[in-house]
Amino acid sequence: MPIVETADLRKVFRSIKRRPGIGGAIAALFSREYEETAAVDGVTMSLEAGELVGYLGPNGAGKSTTIKMLTGILVPTSGTVRVAGLVPHRQRLENAANIGVVFGQRSQLYWDLPLRESFALLRSIYDVPHERYRQNLAHFASILDLESFMDTPVRQLSLGERMRGDFAAAMLHDPKIVYLDEPTIGLDVVAKEAVREFIAQVNRERGTTIILTTHDLADIERLTRRVILIDDGTIIFDGPLERLRSEYGTHRTLVITLADSYPDVRIEGAHLESREGNVVRLRFDRRRLSAETLIRRAMERYAISDIAIIEPDIDSIVRRIYREGYTENAIGSPS
Amino acid sequence: MSVTVARPRFRLEPYVEFAKVAMAKEATYRFDVFTSVASVLIRVYILRTVWVALYAHNAAPKELPLHAIITYSTVAMLMSLVMDIDQTRVLHDSLHDGSIVLDFTKPMRVPLYFIANGTGEVLFHAVLMLPALGLALLFVHIDVPSLGTLAVFFASFLLGYGVGFCINFILNCTAFWTLEITAVQFIVTWITDLVGGELVPLLLFPAALQNVLLFLPFAAMFSTPLLIYVGHIPPSQYAVALALQAFWLIVLAAISTVMWRLGTQRLVSQGG
Repeated sequence: MPIVETADLRKVFRSIKRRPGIGGAIAALFSREYEETAAVDGVTMSLEAGELVGYLGPNGAGKSTTIKMLTGILVPTSGTVRVAGLVPHRQRLENAANIGVVFGQRSQLYWDLPLRESFALLRSIYDVPHERYRQNLAHFASILDLESFMDTPVRQLSLGERMRGDFAAAMLHDPKIVYLDEPTIGLDVVAKEAVREFIAQVNRERGTTIILTTHDLADIERLTRRVILIDDGTIIFDGPLERLRSEYGTHRTLVITLADSYPDVRIEGAHLESREGNVVRLRFDRRRLSAETLIRRAMERYAISDIAIIEPDIDSIVRRIYREGYTENAIGSPS
Repeated sequence: MSVTVARPRFRLEPYVEFAKVAMAKEATYRFDVFTSVASVLIRVYILRTVWVALYAHNAAPKELPLHAIITYSTVAMLMSLVMDIDQTRVLHDSLHDGSIVLDFTKPMRVPLYFIANGTGEVLFHAVLMLPALGLALLFVHIDVPSLGTLAVFFASFLLGYGVGFCINFILNCTAFWTLEITAVQFIVTWITDLVGGELVPLLLFPAALQNVLLFLPFAAMFSTPLLIYVGHIPPSQYAVALALQAFWLIVLAAISTVMWRLGTQRLVSQGG
C-alpha cells in the first residue's frame, strides 16, 4: 500500500492582473482582474514506504508547491492527496506528527538557542518519549558529529553545522516520511557527503520514506534510484534514474588546460564547446567515445598541463528534456 | 484507504516550554535589560521634572495635584516595561522570512506558539518592574493606594494588557497581506502613547476630547488602570471601568481571531 499518494493534484494560484501604467494602477484600486496560474497541474504519483525518491525540476516547476500540499501547508485546488492514510490539509496536526522536513534555505532550529535546547523543544512539541529521545539524539549526534557544537547558539553555527543540526531535528521524532527540499544547497563537499551519508543511512536502517528535491545531480546519483521530473506543473518523467541518465545524460565535457599556446585545437570525435585562453572545453558523446580514448588523442597532439571531465549535471539533462520534450528513446538524437 | 486517527490530545507542555525559552532568551540580552530599566528611570525623572516645572507656573488642576500626577507618570512608565513590548513580533518575522511554513509543519497550534512566546518575553519584563520601581523610588515619591484599590488596579492592568496584546497581534497579522507594517506600527504606538494616557493623563485634555478618548480601547490600556491607581476613578465606578475594558478586550480578541483565520486561509490558498 502506497504511503504517499496523489491523484490529479492541482494547485491554482490567483494573482491580480496588473495593467500597465499609472492609469492601470488606479483602475486596479477599483476593479481588479485576476489571472490564474496552475503551479501544479494534475500530478499523480505514488510512493511505497521506504522509497527514496528524487523530485526534480527547474525553479518554478511546482516542486515546492507539491511538497507544501503533501505537508498540509497548502490546500489543493482539486485532486486528492493522502500521506500515511491522512489528508494533510484537513488533518494538519496529525499529519505533522508523521513527517519531518528539512528546507535547505530555512532552518527549523531556534536562532538564539543552543542546538541542545532546540532539540529539547522539539522533543516537547512532538511528545517524543524521553528514552526514545535520548537514544535518537545520541545516535544522530554521533553520525552527524554534533557533539562539538551542541551547546553553541544556532546563530553562531556554520552553514554545514546548522544543516547537520537541522537533519537531526527533522528525525528526532522518528517520522515516517521526510521531505528534503534542497538540503545540500550551499554546503561544501565534506558537509554534502556527511549529509548524503546520513540520508542514505536513515533510509536504509529506519526505512524512512524520503522525498528529495535538489538541483545537485550528485545528490540524486548518490541516493536515489527513482526520479520524478516535473515541469510546468506536470510530471514528465517518473522512473529509474538510470533510464533518465542513459537516455539524456549522454554528453560529457573534457576540460583541458594547454601547456603551450596552440592557434587551433581540434580532436576527432569531440566538439569544441568553448575556449578561454589556454582552457579548452570539448564536448563528447560517451557512447561513441570513451574518455580514455579522447584524453589519449588530446595528449598525442598537445602539451597539456591539466585535465578534468565534467559529468552532465541534472540541469543540462533537464534543460535538454525541456528543449526536446521527453521521448521514450532519446538515444541518437543530436545534442 | 481510510484511517481514522484520534485528534492528538492537547498538551500544554510545549507552550510552557516556549514561554520559558522566550524568558531565558530575553535574559541573555543583558544590555537590553539594563537599557530598558535605565530608560524607564530616565523617563520617570524627566517627567517628574516637567510636571514640577509646569505645576510651579500654572494652577494645578484639582483632579490631579502634583503628587498624584508624579505617581501617575511613574506607574505609567513602569507599566510601559511590559506594555511597550512587541509581543507577537515573531509572527511578523516568520511571515517576513517565510519560516511560518516550518511552523505549520509541526504538530502545534501555531497561534498558541506565538502567544506563548510573547508571554514569556512579557513575564521577564514584568519581573524587571520590581527593581525599576525600587530605583525609581530613589528620586520620586509615589502614593500607594489601599490594598483593595491596588487589587483592582492589577485586575485593570491585566485587562489593559490583554487589550494591548490584541492590538499588537492584529497589527502583526496584517503581515499576512503586506509586509510593510513598520510605519503602521509606528503610528499606532504613537497614537497609543498620546491618546492612551501613557505620557499625559487624558484628564488634561479638553473636555470634549476627553469624552471621546476615554472610551477608546487605547484608554483601556493605560488610562483606566492609572486613574484607578491615583483614585480618580472611585470604587463606585470600578465595575463600569472594568466592564468597558472587558468589552474592548472581547471585541479586539474577536477581531484578532478573524484576522488570524483570514490570514491563515490566505496562507494555505496563496502560499504566503
